[in-house]
Amino acid sequence: MTLLQILKNIVRKHSIHVCYVNTGSCNGCDIEILACLSPRYDIEQYGIYVHNNPREADIILVTGTMSAQWIDKLPDIWDKVPEPKAVIVIGNCPISGCAFDRPGALIDPPVSKHIPVSAVVPGCPPRPTEIISTILNSADILFENYETKTERKP
Amino acid sequence: MKKIVDVSLPIGPVHPCFKEPARIKCETAGERVIRTEVELGYVKKGIEKIMIGRPWQEIIFLAERVCGICSVVHNTAIIGALEKISNITVPMRAMYLRIILNELDRMQSHLLANYSYCYTIEHETLAMYLLNLRETVMDAIEIMTGTRIMAAYIVPGGVRTDINREIATKICEALDHIEAELPRFVQMFATGPLIALRSKGIGILSVKDAKESGVVGPTARASGIARDAREHELLYTELGWHMIIRQDGDNFSRIMLRFDELFQSVHIIKNALAVIPEGPVRLGNRITSGRTKHTVEAPRGELTYDVELDENGQVIMISIQTPSIMNVDAGSHAMMKNLSSIADVTSTFISADPCIACAER
Repeated sequence: MTLLQILKNIVRKHSIHVCYVNTGSCNGCDIEILACLSPRYDIEQYGIYVHNNPREADIILVTGTMSAQWIDKLPDIWDKVPEPKAVIVIGNCPISGCAFDRPGALIDPPVSKHIPVSAVVPGCPPRPTEIISTILNSADILFENYETKTERKP
Repeated sequence: MKKIVDVSLPIGPVHPCFKEPARIKCETAGERVIRTEVELGYVKKGIEKIMIGRPWQEIIFLAERVCGICSVVHNTAIIGALEKISNITVPMRAMYLRIILNELDRMQSHLLANYSYCYTIEHETLAMYLLNLRETVMDAIEIMTGTRIMAAYIVPGGVRTDINREIATKICEALDHIEAELPRFVQMFATGPLIALRSKGIGILSVKDAKESGVVGPTARASGIARDAREHELLYTELGWHMIIRQDGDNFSRIMLRFDELFQSVHIIKNALAVIPEGPVRLGNRITSGRTKHTVEAPRGELTYDVELDENGQVIMISIQTPSIMNVDAGSHAMMKNLSSIADVTSTFISADPCIACAER
């Protein structure tokens, strides 16, 4: 491992930029992500910054059931994110469609059908502490030696 | 006629200021915004369609998932409609508990709305103070119901669980904390000169426009229209509820009205906890067939459920009228017209507290 790679690993662990995309959720998961910003949970002390801008994000948090409007737009957003990048889905909706996955609903779950997903946080909605711990735990594994990984991300 | 438009500027659907996806198309001449158009439809799931043909036991959980911020009031509305159809009487203690939970929900929703506005006008300090105060309210909801959001606390014929003296004391402590902290933040908002520059006299919704567009909730009350579904409920009046109205109709008065309602909610919950009667919290009965319309006051305005059930308890027809769609429309046609700066578009849009998930379902 080169010195540059070691440096990159250290820096990436302490600076994770996050963008959240609501693809048809009921707001429950979104306000739990917002609650992570509050001084009680203080997501910024771990080096996680919620910018909500895909062009400077490392991790995209996807909430919602993948409504029909987002089917062509979410892959576009995924393409705009610079490398290294990963997707974490929040809540039951992006995993399975939750209560909305019935005949006649205008949705197309799961999200993993449309973009590659790295980690999932089940719950309706999950607690803020669960969201923070998932981001912290998975970012270490995902971004370590990102350039030299043999299997490239799709 | 040729329009003098320099740039047509789209804002959204993924934007740092928005919690939810919505797209605002602005037509600008220089820095001035001539007119705007709000494009919705990004979170349409078709909940009403999948509700049809299902038994009422499934409907109450689907209704709760219409909106995550005001999930309690959707629960109250659908259960109220079911009780109206089948003439189920609710015990007195359960009615008091419902009011306590509804007001706690209104408090967290108003705090979140004011947080969003302060964040949008780049006053992050005040925004973080308000978001931290919201956690206190969420704790009170969690102590009472067992979870933060989607509690499913209200059931036909009462509420799911009772509260004991210990829980009541903890809720009272949370309210005392809010009453001690909130005046400082209101003072900061009311007297901040930079906040006044971004809020006073911006996004004015006149009484005439408000009446034409049929706005509801805090947006209507900030424009001087006395419209609140709680005035028809006797128990609210007994607990010290009164109509709060402001006349200006700009961004500043909409946010200050929410602060006023926060203090009123604290007052109502404290009164309810003081005079809550003893007794059962849940009585049973059968759900029968019929059709009814039930209106309750959500944090954003009037919420109406129109439900028709058959004799097996399955839903034949349901339609939900949520408050946000009127407020979003009034926003694009009246409030966001002829703004002096493009930076005021997002803050004016957020000041009406639009809940896109409610509006589209």
